[in-house]
Amino acid sequence: MSELLRARDLTKVFRSNTALDGLDLSVNAGEIVCLLGANGAGKTTTINLFLGFLEPTSGAAFVDGAEVGANLKRTRGKLGYVPEQVSLYPALTGLENLDYFVKLGGGRADAARLRGLLDEVGLDRGAAEQRVGGYSKGMRQKVGLAIALAKGAKALLLDEPLSGLDPSAANEFCRLLRRLADDGAAVLMATHDLFRARELADRIGIMKSGALVEELSPESLDQAALEQIYLRHMHDEERATEEART
Amino acid sequence: MIGAIIGKELTELRRDGRAIGLLAIVALLLALGLVTGLATESAREREVLAASADDAAVFLAQGEKNPHSAAHFSRMAHKPVAPLAAFDPGVSAYLGQVIWLEAHYRNPAMFRAAEDAPELGRLENFSIAGVLTLILPLLVVLMGYGGIARERERGTLRQLVGAGASPLAVLLGKFIVIAAVAFVVLAATVAVATAFSLLSMPEAGYASGDLLLRGASLLLVYGIYIVCLTALTLLVSLLVAEARAALLVLLGIWVVTVVGLPRLSASIAEQVYPSPDSASFWEDTRASLQANRPASGSADYVAVEREVVERALGREVRADELDGLAINRGALRLEVTEVIDAETYNAAFAELFANYERQRNLRRMLAMLSPTIALQHLSRAYAGTDVGAHEHFSLEAERQRNRIVRVMNEDMLINGAGASFGYVAPAEFWEQVPEFDYQPPAVAAAWRGSLGDLLILLLWGIAAVAALFWFGGKRIRV
Repeated sequence: MSELLRARDLTKVFRSNTALDGLDLSVNAGEIVCLLGANGAGKTTTINLFLGFLEPTSGAAFVDGAEVGANLKRTRGKLGYVPEQVSLYPALTGLENLDYFVKLGGGRADAARLRGLLDEVGLDRGAAEQRVGGYSKGMRQKVGLAIALAKGAKALLLDEPLSGLDPSAANEFCRLLRRLADDGAAVLMATHDLFRARELADRIGIMKSGALVEELSPESLDQAALEQIYLRHMHDEERATEEART
Repeated sequence: MIGAIIGKELTELRRDGRAIGLLAIVALLLALGLVTGLATESAREREVLAASADDAAVFLAQGEKNPHSAAHFSRMAHKPVAPLAAFDPGVSAYLGQVIWLEAHYRNPAMFRAAEDAPELGRLENFSIAGVLTLILPLLVVLMGYGGIARERERGTLRQLVGAGASPLAVLLGKFIVIAAVAFVVLAATVAVATAFSLLSMPEAGYASGDLLLRGASLLLVYGIYIVCLTALTLLVSLLVAEARAALLVLLGIWVVTVVGLPRLSASIAEQVYPSPDSASFWEDTRASLQANRPASGSADYVAVEREVVERALGREVRADELDGLAINRGALRLEVTEVIDAETYNAAFAELFANYERQRNLRRMLAMLSPTIALQHLSRAYAGTDVGAHEHFSLEAERQRNRIVRVMNEDMLINGAGASFGYVAPAEFWEQVPEFDYQPPAVAAAWRGSLGDLLILLLWGIAAVAALFWFGGKRIRV
């Protein structure tokens, strides 16, 4: 399987704060990797570095073999991105938003294809014609995913896309991600949702203080074991913080 | 890609009730400016035509009279309404509308419209140019302050860039839409003002081609102003993190560069190069008149005498022949004094207008801090309502005064030999006095006179656009 996302000794320091500390990570085509960790663990920084929103302090991020910093346009062209809060233009309909983002991303924006994409992510046709000012978060996430899909991206970067979704919408979303991975996409998803991560991921990475402290295969552990491992790392962090304070 | 951005921006604008409301308010203000401007200038034009006709009728009907007495009675030179005064009344209301063409004296223009204005009318000069200069920047600011900053706040910029969009293209698309909307408002206003000026004041006799060129020139300079404003607005939106902060910064810039500096620059110019008050101007001029008059019988005086007589008789006159000629000596003295004094008057008024030009040059330097100052100069120049246009009228009126007085003096000189001031010209003589057929300068003169201002405005536009796209070309904070 080809390696579509690769972080090599990736480090990002904001003044005195090390947000990411020598991350080594790869995501192959057809694979879903979930990053777990507390707020500030470095999950979003990792995604931002792959997208080129940030420049690494050291190390490098690669998309389909190309280094991000030197090939920004090319690497962004291969990435689909769904943030935690999908931001859309409230005065435009779902379909118009999709059309706009697709055109600006250089994608094909014929109406039939766009409607097909919205069908695929489960946004009903009536809703697609309504202005997104009245959309729920789940509906926005669907449009966001449709935007990512419209590019035919080789790799998807998802930054806590499930937060705020109702269980049914989250299930639907996860099913869609699995199908995309089965079709050959590489998916890197930052999440707090241990249950979904275990259900969905091929690999799980636990991040703490900017470092990948553990990589797990969900097949080898049940939900309780995953929670135990995760909480152990989190409590370690809390203890360390408490000790530092005292 | 640009087409998609433009389409999306226009759709948002169309669906945003606030933007439509804002545009409607601006359109209403411009319509009011147009209506009041046209009403005021049409009324003034009718007054000018009626007063000119009255003045001619009274002059022609004065019957038998001594020509010098008639030269004191004389005529009035009425300044016609400027070609696009309804668009920009400029300084015309403050410089007088009528010049009394009297013997011996070069009078300043009198009957300033500002003096006749009602109390409230003196506070504000409501005109299309005023609305465009003051309100158009606000329109651009309100349309554009959130251009980038709000996209950043909402997270759409991040998502757009993440989707592969070029931030520079987003910037360009927004720039085109904001500038185009403002330009449509401007173009409609200039077109309507020009058309109405052409149709509502046909008696003024302006060449339609000249009027159209003036309209096109106004469109050009206000267009550059819009480009400059749009670029500055988006630049602030690009550099300032939050939309609300961008709005505050832009309103601050508006207060300083649009409201404050143009007024302050006028005060500074007046302080540095003070305009002489009327009393001291005439005191100085009278002193110069006395100093410049050669003594009667001096070689210089005789030379002017010969020149005057030769012109009146239409032939050369020998020096020894002068004393023996059968001419009215009183009329000769009057005309010699007129010829000598004319140079002094010309020098005094040239210095007065040179001082206005120095003030304008200083304001032009201050235009490096505010493009509005350069725009005001250009707008008045192209509308034909600036000091330069008034100077042209003043010079032409003085030439007419010289012509009238000369015709009077020459008639008395030739036909009143021996009669001294008892000579009386026949009633039909007044018809020989030439009418004042004033032709305002063509727009080309305004172009030449305001090249410096155009250059400064262009520099502002180029610098603002270059700064916008230079900063936009760097990695934009998403």
